[in-house]
Amino acid sequence: MTHYDVLVQQVINGLSLGAMYSLLALGFTMVYGIIELINFSHFNIFMVGSFIAAIALHAVGVSGQERALYGLPLIATLAFAFAAAMLFCGALGVVIERVGLRPMRHVRGTAAMITTIGISYILFNVVLLRTGASTMNYPNPVPVLGWPIGGATLRLREVLLWSVALILMAVLQFFVRRTKIGKAMRATAQDSEAARMMGIDVDRVVMLTFFIGSALAGAAGLIFGLYYNFTSFLIGYTAGLRAFTAAVLGGIGNIVGAMIGGLVIGLIESVGGQILAVRWTDVIIFSILILVLVFRPTGLLGISTPSKS
Amino acid sequence: MSSAPTSDGRPLREFKDVDTYYGELHVLKRVNYEIGAGEIVCLLGGNASGKSTTMKTVLGLVRPARGTVVYRGEQISRLSTAERVRRGIAPVPEARRLFPRMTVFENLEMGAFTRTDTAGIAEDLDRVYSLFPRVKERRTQLAGTLSGGEQQMVAIGRALMARPQLLCMDEPSMGLSPAFVEQVFDIIQTINRQGTSIFVVEQNANMALSIAHRGYVLQTGQVVLSGTAKSLRENEMIRQAYLGEIKTA
Amino acid sequence: MADVSPAKVSSLHAIDAEAQVAPPPARPAAWRAIAAPMLRPLERIPAGVRTRLAGVLLLAAALAFPVIHSNGGDVDAATNALCFAALALGLNIVVGFAGLLDLGYAAFFAIGAYTYGILASGQLHPLWSAAWQPLQWLGLVSRFHIEGVPDIVQFQFSFWYMLPGAAIVAAFFGLLFGAPTLRLKGDYLAIVTLGFGEIVPIVVRNEQKLTNGAMGLNGVLAPTAFGYNFGVNATPFYYVAIAMIVLLMFVSYRLKASRVGRAWMAIREDEVAAGAMGVNRTRLKLLAFATGAGFGGMTGTLYIAKLQTATPDMFQFPVSVMILVMIVLGGMGSVPGVVVGALLLQLLQSWFLQDLTQWLHALGRLTGIVSLQQVELAQTIELIFGIILVTMMLFRRQGLIPASRTTAPLSMEEQAAAPTRGGIGVSLSRLARAKVPEDAPLLETRGLTKRFGGITAVRSVDFVVPPHSIVGLIGPNGSGKTTFFNLVTGLDAPDSGRILFGGKDVTGLPAHAVVERGIARTFQSLRLFPDMTVLENVLVGMHAWTRANAVGAVLRPASVRTEERESVEWAMEVLRIFGNRLSPRVNHLASSLSYANRRRLEIARAIAARPSLLLLDEPTAGMNPAETLELADQIRSLKDMGLTVLLIEHKLNVVNTISDKVAVLDYGEKIAEGTAEEVHRNEDVIRAYLGRTSAARV
Repeated sequence: MTHYDVLVQQVINGLSLGAMYSLLALGFTMVYGIIELINFSHFNIFMVGSFIAAIALHAVGVSGQERALYGLPLIATLAFAFAAAMLFCGALGVVIERVGLRPMRHVRGTAAMITTIGISYILFNVVLLRTGASTMNYPNPVPVLGWPIGGATLRLREVLLWSVALILMAVLQFFVRRTKIGKAMRATAQDSEAARMMGIDVDRVVMLTFFIGSALAGAAGLIFGLYYNFTSFLIGYTAGLRAFTAAVLGGIGNIVGAMIGGLVIGLIESVGGQILAVRWTDVIIFSILILVLVFRPTGLLGISTPSKS
Repeated sequence: MSSAPTSDGRPLREFKDVDTYYGELHVLKRVNYEIGAGEIVCLLGGNASGKSTTMKTVLGLVRPARGTVVYRGEQISRLSTAERVRRGIAPVPEARRLFPRMTVFENLEMGAFTRTDTAGIAEDLDRVYSLFPRVKERRTQLAGTLSGGEQQMVAIGRALMARPQLLCMDEPSMGLSPAFVEQVFDIIQTINRQGTSIFVVEQNANMALSIAHRGYVLQTGQVVLSGTAKSLRENEMIRQAYLGEIKTA
Repeated sequence: MADVSPAKVSSLHAIDAEAQVAPPPARPAAWRAIAAPMLRPLERIPAGVRTRLAGVLLLAAALAFPVIHSNGGDVDAATNALCFAALALGLNIVVGFAGLLDLGYAAFFAIGAYTYGILASGQLHPLWSAAWQPLQWLGLVSRFHIEGVPDIVQFQFSFWYMLPGAAIVAAFFGLLFGAPTLRLKGDYLAIVTLGFGEIVPIVVRNEQKLTNGAMGLNGVLAPTAFGYNFGVNATPFYYVAIAMIVLLMFVSYRLKASRVGRAWMAIREDEVAAGAMGVNRTRLKLLAFATGAGFGGMTGTLYIAKLQTATPDMFQFPVSVMILVMIVLGGMGSVPGVVVGALLLQLLQSWFLQDLTQWLHALGRLTGIVSLQQVELAQTIELIFGIILVTMMLFRRQGLIPASRTTAPLSMEEQAAAPTRGGIGVSLSRLARAKVPEDAPLLETRGLTKRFGGITAVRSVDFVVPPHSIVGLIGPNGSGKTTFFNLVTGLDAPDSGRILFGGKDVTGLPAHAVVERGIARTFQSLRLFPDMTVLENVLVGMHAWTRANAVGAVLRPASVRTEERESVEWAMEVLRIFGNRLSPRVNHLASSLSYANRRRLEIARAIAARPSLLLLDEPTAGMNPAETLELADQIRSLKDMGLTVLLIEHKLNVVNTISDKVAVLDYGEKIAEGTAEEVHRNEDVIRAYLGRTSAARV
């Protein structure tokens, strides 16, 4: 492979990682947009999602990476796994909001954020106790097919992951731009008290936001498994922080910003990791996080964050 | 309109002995109000007198600790804001509070959030557009980019989209130019003549009393005066404290 | 306004509103009912002595522990627990006192640990040269000779030097990491500190030459004292740890009850108001970061000296979270609380869970339940941390041993506060700090302009406040009055124009510097420090002219003791302005006050700064007519005592009766200025401010 081919390959990989980070970043950004809370439990909702999807795949007979499926069975199997992960994580998000965070909504300061750290810890350790500390070989029905682009390869896996991410993001955009409840969600993010005065049930909107954000994290969890062919109780923290960086980069509270920020972070991870040493990747990403927060808290896109009047 | 149409027996809206707290602060103390059908009732008082809390209590954003809020004979103290909006109580909040990054049209849509009658909503949209031609011109613009006066029109229009029987306005004159304040108050009278009762909280006492039928004066959370607009205008205390008449004018 | 139903007014306010809004009585715990008779003899001992006695007894028990209980493993566990208590004390300075949520605190632990570890191990061994000679004389390095190769340097920095040394290095990194976070609000700040907390272990892992990477440092020297090498014996480390905890608790207590500690709490409670009271936020936040980091660095040294090895894994995010759990459990801001929280969690981890596991195994064997025999509760410790965090946040946010105090209810006499007339009955001996020139204007603005987005909030305002006068500033809501105040007091920077105070340019000065020049203010929206007492609120008001720094706060030399005593005296003097209203409540939390008393406390807090110019933003808002007139008289008294007052006010009778001059703002522009009468005759004012004056059309 020439340097050029390596670069193309890393861009392809970066876009796949980016698709995952975008989906994960959306949950951060939507929750922050609506109740100004950095939700640390999101990290491990993502991790739980990857396990739930694995369980779903096992349930329909997929194990390991040997038995590839093709055509309609592949689509149906993946659709089932995504649906299972998304529904379970969505419900988990709703429970977390309802039980742990709603009583905290009007407490000033950082109490709610500390609570989400606690919830994240609980999820992490429950999974650890149930699955053990070793990594899990991921059931993956996607056949190892690919198309050469010069010396690089565009694999079917990438195309599938990109499509799923694109579809989910398009649906989300349609939902918040065109539907009544989606508009109510935006209204609540912009001014929740005014939204309440319009007769919008803000509690329900917040719950819905947690559902959608967590469901997208569940989808990202499955993408992680399909991409790396493993999962572990540990994956939430690093991926979560990177996705959070993506949300900050795009301007936290900004949905389109989170999608773009995710792609940028994915590319930095794969291309940057190639140029510098992989062991410095996290230092680069955290440095970006710190620099953006300190010098440009509205995000690189320059779209303003939700301002509560 | 020569006298206030309050004599139809039952008030549209009633506050009975309402007490409200913020944390440990006792904001409203045994407050009683009545708003008759078809009336414009104004609530006067300085900053921190409890005006905004009254408004929030009407809308269900704050729950009274004691006392009852009655609307058309029904006890609504425990109802959610959404339920109240459905029953015909719509707000024009202080400082307008539009959704700044939504279009004017989307803001109006949000006003009709609790409604499902598509035809009725379209009808009311036309009504708002005819009342405020300027709002129609700006319907695709983001609300945050409008001038203060235009925003006030959208805020009133948004409230009308709920097809309210009672319009609750919190300081509609705030931050508006004098000429525009007059315009807003003319609109309030027009809306009232079309059959909507109006409860208006105002600092601009002169203006408010010039259009209201009756008024209440709130001070440190207590109603210290009430009466017809005419009697309030002639009250010595009001003249001094709110109408700015000392020895001059 | 005084003639409105006077009977009602006096009947309601003969007793101030707190009487009617007494906080609900605390539910008596069942154990308290049982224990009360037994504890009664103890109650005869004064509270202060009781606390001290308890402290001495606890310390004696702690000192005796290794003697009585000679199990080396348990002493070792206790030493670790004490190390974490020290870390909790350090994080408590940052999070509990100053309210800055730091999620990467373990980084400072790591920095302290590696500073000592590198300087007291063979990790670095540069070639010997003469430049090392001075260090050799100091005994910090030695020359190491091996046959056949050049001599190398052996680092052997003394543990006793490195306890403070590593604290200083960590404090330096505290400043470094703190600096970029200064402008960030709560949750963003947490994320940035989390980022630093991640970066430090990664750097440690990657800088193999310096740290030996993931393998970790080995052969770190154990301390020696009086010729005795500590080696791997836990007991001497235990005593060092006890000494360190005593020291750090002492420092924490001293800091908390000082000018510095009050400034930290003020920042925690309301950053903007703290700045407006003269607190230099940048400096104090950095001081909090550095102090907390220093505690961490010192602890790192002890911890590593005991372990004699250090790996990057010992300092990762879970450690930061564990320390956070400790202070959340014990009570943020509470010195004994965080120590108890830390000890509880550590002992839970190293003793209780293991014992419980053994019991469960035994129970499993007894009953034949296999799953019970395989339980390993020690693995669940992080799960327990998570559950503790969530439970405490949901049900007991103040922690097991809360930092806030409860106060005794007031007697009827103390509550009686009838409105009075005639101004301030006491003389404020030391009111203004600076002499005000009589001829020149005290405050002058020239072309002052401030825009927010497209809206011009203040437009080209020229304005003069003569000394020893009361100037009223009126105008409709939203006309730019409060923005004008914010510009003058440095909370907002003007886009153009100048502000002169006593002839000197103060434009663009930060808020705390403006207070130092002699301008103090109150806020219309009431920005007290709710979780601080009335007295503490007033003491924060004095921040600009008091001097005690962190070192002085800890050592308390005579100068600091005198300053503290005079501060309290001055605070009591200022509070007496309002007669019986605030003085009996000095130890009450500001959040428990009635609305009118909150206003009074804001004024007292501003006066405590000894300003030449006092800016009052709607001081009578929320007050009834009698209270309003009382306050108006008091404001006039302040003028008579030499203070100059600039007053935003909506109640025109107040403005008209006490102002020497009135200015009117509308749309951010000054549309009129003059005596009250002149202003009221002005056509523009009538149109803008008084609204439609034509006959009503009803």
